[in-house]
Amino acid sequence: MIEPVALANFFTVFFSAAMVIMTGATYALLFAYSRVKGMPRMMLLAYLAYLGLFASVMTLADAANLFHNTFWTVIVGLMLLGYLVAPHAIWKLCVGTHALEPEDDKAHPVKIYQQS
Amino acid sequence: MAQEIWWASTSFWRKSAIWVTGFSFVVLIFLTFDTVKQITAGSPRVPAYSVINNRIDYVFDAKRNFQVPVIGPEEPLFGKKLTEEEAEALVSHGKLTTQAKNCMDCHTLLGNGAYYAPDLTKAWLDPSWGSKEVREQSMVEFLMDPSDKLHNSIGRRMPKLGITEEEAKATVAFLKWMSSIDTNGFPANFKPIDQADAPAPATAEPAAEVGAAPVQ
Amino acid sequence: MSVLGILTSANLNGGQKLATKYFTVAIALFGAQVLFGLLAGIQYLNPDFLYGILDFSVNRMLHINAMVVWLLFGFIGSVYWLLEDESGAPVVGLGLGNLIFWVFTLAVVVVVLVFLLVQVGPGELKSIWLINEGREYIEAPRWADIGIVVCVLAFFFNVAATFAKGKFTGIGGVLVLDLIALAGLYLAGMWYTPNISMDQHWWWWVIHLWVEATWEVLVGCLMAYGLITTMGVRRRIVETWLYIEVALMFGSGILGLGHHYFWIGTPEYWFTIGGFFSALEPIPLVAMVVHAVFDAGHHKLKSTNHPALAWIIAQAFGNFFGAGVWGFMHTLPQINLYTHGTQWTASHGHLAFFGAYATMVIAFLYIALQKWRGGVYMSSNLAGAWKWKWAIFLLHAGLIAMVMGMLIAGYEQSQIERAIGGSDWVAYFAAQSHRWFMQGMFWRQIGGWVFASGFVLLAWDLMTIGKRETRPAVQNETAEAAA
Repeated sequence: MIEPVALANFFTVFFSAAMVIMTGATYALLFAYSRVKGMPRMMLLAYLAYLGLFASVMTLADAANLFHNTFWTVIVGLMLLGYLVAPHAIWKLCVGTHALEPEDDKAHPVKIYQQS
Repeated sequence: MAQEIWWASTSFWRKSAIWVTGFSFVVLIFLTFDTVKQITAGSPRVPAYSVINNRIDYVFDAKRNFQVPVIGPEEPLFGKKLTEEEAEALVSHGKLTTQAKNCMDCHTLLGNGAYYAPDLTKAWLDPSWGSKEVREQSMVEFLMDPSDKLHNSIGRRMPKLGITEEEAKATVAFLKWMSSIDTNGFPANFKPIDQADAPAPATAEPAAEVGAAPVQ
Repeated sequence: MSVLGILTSANLNGGQKLATKYFTVAIALFGAQVLFGLLAGIQYLNPDFLYGILDFSVNRMLHINAMVVWLLFGFIGSVYWLLEDESGAPVVGLGLGNLIFWVFTLAVVVVVLVFLLVQVGPGELKSIWLINEGREYIEAPRWADIGIVVCVLAFFFNVAATFAKGKFTGIGGVLVLDLIALAGLYLAGMWYTPNISMDQHWWWWVIHLWVEATWEVLVGCLMAYGLITTMGVRRRIVETWLYIEVALMFGSGILGLGHHYFWIGTPEYWFTIGGFFSALEPIPLVAMVVHAVFDAGHHKLKSTNHPALAWIIAQAFGNFFGAGVWGFMHTLPQINLYTHGTQWTASHGHLAFFGAYATMVIAFLYIALQKWRGGVYMSSNLAGAWKWKWAIFLLHAGLIAMVMGMLIAGYEQSQIERAIGGSDWVAYFAAQSHRWFMQGMFWRQIGGWVFASGFVLLAWDLMTIGKRETRPAVQNETAEAAA
């Protein structure tokens, strides 16, 4: 069912797992930022971050011996697909839920308030 | 509200939240029924308490790709074979002792607890007890007054917790029983104490059962 | 509105007056958590320190129990704080609420005294009933367990009845259901069994389902209320998102229980379930990131309470790193086999508990204080603002030092003790005496002292913020925008 990580791969596993979350968040952040600001070029950067995510997931999968088993290979596929579409889906949801916002007359793009 | 999209509406998500929670919980309940059955004492994963009448080992299983507990020939704890009821009472007394003495706020049991002292999952099989002949007695003595024993290290000493001899013996029984639980290979790469019988050639024959005279 | 800058309960409604009591005890217990954490940390460096008087087990037990109880008090206080506002009705059983507060606090004091003075008992059931249950995080003796359930049920009654009398908002509905789960799940940890596998199986129901499900949702409710009241986001949207969050949290969190069932005797299929839900784990985080950016683009972030806003931002980051990054690094069973039960867990625990929960309660304390002082100005150019800024800096600097120290120690431990040594006693001590471990513990302690100084500053700031301030909180959006 599982094949434990080899000692030599410990660092790779920790680091690539951390990078999965970091690049995943960067992708989501850039994706949303590009849409909010209407900057299509930034979308390129977002997909670059996804490329990083892809590489991290593959590195993690390889180091954690996930490809040695069908179930874990499927999980890897789901992660790659899920993280790719999640920002799109959440964005649609944001637009959808905020559509019922008649009171907010600031429908036009507003200045971004630096949140972080 | 005419332009409200169904998948972005409040009511859709209210229902979704309820259904998702309900569904997950129902799945969890079903899994729990099965898991509880599989971890009830007396099952293959969690042996009956009377397993303390036997030798317990921890051996690599090539098919499952990790170490698994193996129940060996008869080797009664403290040289006394117990019935299932007696064994349960003894293990239970030991378990109560580990709780009342707050073992888990220094040690880990099955990997859960605090990290100030070693994991106790396979303490029964630990090579530090020397040999299997002196193990039981060493464990009892250690538990009753651990403060000056060799097993302490780097300045950390287990305090004297007022454990009586009876409680110490029960705790050893609990630890022995715990080492028989199938923990999916945790801890990995553990090298158990040598429990082979005397100098006789190591053949896993039932002869060992006869040779399992009360230890010391 | 009464005089600005004066701390007086005339500024508060009934529920809020009760809330301030809970908040006061919460901060005192936060102090106790820091104190006993420091003592336990010293013992790693000098094992003879307080040996035989307050052994590591006692300090550690008080450290983690103080945390659970102060967060619980913080949550209860926060709920009482928003209750009348949200429901539009006065708290139905305010007298009961007050009585329960005193009962609860007294029980906590008695339990702490017994932990300190009696510490351990004989290996009998009566020890578990009267002294110490000996199960991590829920060490409180059985009589206190029953007390906790009674208190939470009384609290639940108060909340449900008040919402029923006023209006049952979406937030109210989620809150009430969440409180039922909170009380109900605690029962799973209230029975004795000699079977350690069974024991740990149900123990995780309390620990995981409390912390990673019901607490998360409770914080979601507090956050939703905060967004409506302090940022002026429309209720309909906030509540829709609260439901989305509940779906995501419970959807991934309930069966996420699986990642605790790898090594305690439970069947192998939990690898599959734990692995699957671990992979899902980042989805709610991605949702939060996208939504935060979206919101920032559509609403002017107008906050009249800078410390609270800073702590809410800290919460977002803390949750992301503590639960997200630190969780995911060691959640897969392939690696968890070696990190389970090492300082890895401690590193993750410290970052996640502080990042996701302590920050939220502190943010709420600042929201409360602003009103308590009559809606005083708490934005830029606030007199004495250095205190909250330095407090937030020191607490985080200390926390990061602690977490990094434990991370390095855990990394070493997972290799030398777990993978190479096979986790026996010799391997354990080989890892504990390794240079990386020792230095990790040393820096952890330095981080502890920095954190403690941050706590002192925080406590001081909470007592004094806005004291000599005469400007009101509102009408300052223009000045605010510059900050």
